[in-house]
Amino acid sequence: MEDFLTQLTSKYNFWAYIVLMMIGLYAMIAKGNLVKKLIGLSIFQTAIMLFYVAIGSKAGATIPILRDSTLKGVIDFVEYINPLPHVLMLTAIVVSVATLGVALALVLRVYDVHQTLEEDEILEKIKNP
Amino acid sequence: MHDVVLTILPLLFGSFLAILAGWTRSALVYPLGAVALVMSTCFSVKLLLGVLSTGTATYLLGGWSPPWGIVFVIDAFSAGMLVLIAASALFTYLAFRTEILEGFAEKTAAFVSLLLLTVAGHMGIVATGDLFNLYVLIEVAALSGYALLGFGPGRAPLASLNYLCVGSVGASFYLLGVGYLYILTGTLNMADLAQIMAAAPVTASLHGAVAVILFGLWVKMALFPFHGWLPGAYAMSAPVSAALLAPLTTKVMVYVVIRLLIGVIPGAAMPEAVPDVAMLLGTAAIFAGSLMAFRQRDQRRMLAYILVAEVGYMIGGMFIGNRTAMTGAMLHIFADALMTLTLFLALGSIARQRGEMVLENMRGLFRTMPFTMSAFVLGAMSMIGVPPLFGFFSKWYLLSGAFESGQYLFMVGLLVSSLVNVVLFFRFFETAFFDEPGESVRDIEHWSRVTPLAVAAVLLIVAGLSSGLIVDRLIAGIIPASLI
Repeated sequence: MEDFLTQLTSKYNFWAYIVLMMIGLYAMIAKGNLVKKLIGLSIFQTAIMLFYVAIGSKAGATIPILRDSTLKGVIDFVEYINPLPHVLMLTAIVVSVATLGVALALVLRVYDVHQTLEEDEILEKIKNP
Repeated sequence: MHDVVLTILPLLFGSFLAILAGWTRSALVYPLGAVALVMSTCFSVKLLLGVLSTGTATYLLGGWSPPWGIVFVIDAFSAGMLVLIAASALFTYLAFRTEILEGFAEKTAAFVSLLLLTVAGHMGIVATGDLFNLYVLIEVAALSGYALLGFGPGRAPLASLNYLCVGSVGASFYLLGVGYLYILTGTLNMADLAQIMAAAPVTASLHGAVAVILFGLWVKMALFPFHGWLPGAYAMSAPVSAALLAPLTTKVMVYVVIRLLIGVIPGAAMPEAVPDVAMLLGTAAIFAGSLMAFRQRDQRRMLAYILVAEVGYMIGGMFIGNRTAMTGAMLHIFADALMTLTLFLALGSIARQRGEMVLENMRGLFRTMPFTMSAFVLGAMSMIGVPPLFGFFSKWYLLSGAFESGQYLFMVGLLVSSLVNVVLFFRFFETAFFDEPGESVRDIEHWSRVTPLAVAAVLLIVAGLSSGLIVDRLIAGIIPASLI
């Protein structure tokens, strides 16, 4: 139990992203409303972004902007947060916004065709048109 | 300019110009797309010839050398894939001219632009040598693909939305695995990663990272329990979208897994259970796909389930773990793409004439559409695995590879699925050959549809006869010598 607690507290950022991911996945599987499914997808993708952001951060480090523009001293990389994961996530955020955009456009088309967003009602309409 | 860029750049420019042309001169849209695809095809052939004579081509994006910058790496195998992608997109584009111009009359510009973008995305996936760049390009290809599939009438948007949810989850899992690999190695470049991972200690997190990446890619390629999106997406959408994406998407994902298996992930990093699970899922995919194809009345849906079985072939082949089977899996990417292209092109022409693709609507097709049906027969025979055609040779490699390492269940799966394909296609042929067409049926075969189809069908024979050459020049050099 002790070990488990230390595991839990020392890597709490990873546990947080796993919990968020599972919430998102649950919403995608269990919710009947198509828009709620998409919200679940969004939570799922955000969880992975938070995971990447957590990779880059360090205790006691600062943002990766060189304070001394003349570069007099030696640059100590321990002082700075790793910027690469954050930059990657900038791209991933763009991708997820685009995904959400395409998905919402498709939801609009689905609503035009079936006049509802509830999955069980749509399936009912497909079976007995 | 560098050849690698020239293969993809016309598509990106074309997609931008098509949107512009849609606002001002809409008559220019279709020719613009054709020019972009022709240029892309020509440059990929040039690149393939160049790679064959001078060896692997690399291109540094923005001049930043790896491991800092993104790099495009083209070896003989990926150059072959580029030609395959560009050429099959071109065939589809030419064959479905009327659908693109009339079927989406108001939205031709958007459709052409998305089509070019999805082809560019697929070519980028093949070309890139960077794991994160691969994720972005997978999403570029997939997002424009979702939109293309959603263009159809009726249930197409719902099927496409379903595909979007599953596809995004798959890509996200891939991204998660890449994150773990980045923590462990501090690099995203494939060649660099391979070196570091070969020297790195094998830990549980390394195994976890590899497993999560492979899981994500399996979802994207519609391996058996994750295949739910595929039949709906390909059978509900407009025929042109299905004919464009069916030969490309799953095959390119298989390519990515092969690339990772032979180029990046050393044997020790592979969790022990993964090859067994993969063999199990591959075999299950073959049986389940064939069985479910059996139950379909709609011919396009039947073909989609055969596609599920074909993914099982390739996954099985690459995880058997000997040289012959890997050759088979790589050759089957080409074979399956070409067969799927032929069959979907033919079914697209038939769908235009006969409407709903149920078996009863197919009466007398041989009499009214002789050329289309001849091409369809060639495609179907190749799918079954009749000797001079391409499908036979890849299946032969897979079978002998499975025999060498004693994977008998997989062998049985291959044979059973061939038999099921015989039954499925001959059921179709019987209806189309012996039953009389109805009085009112007037099918028209236009040369602009028949020519691309005929070329694809003839290519099946040509590629089949030269499959030894393809293996020698494109495939044999890529498989590492350690794989016996």
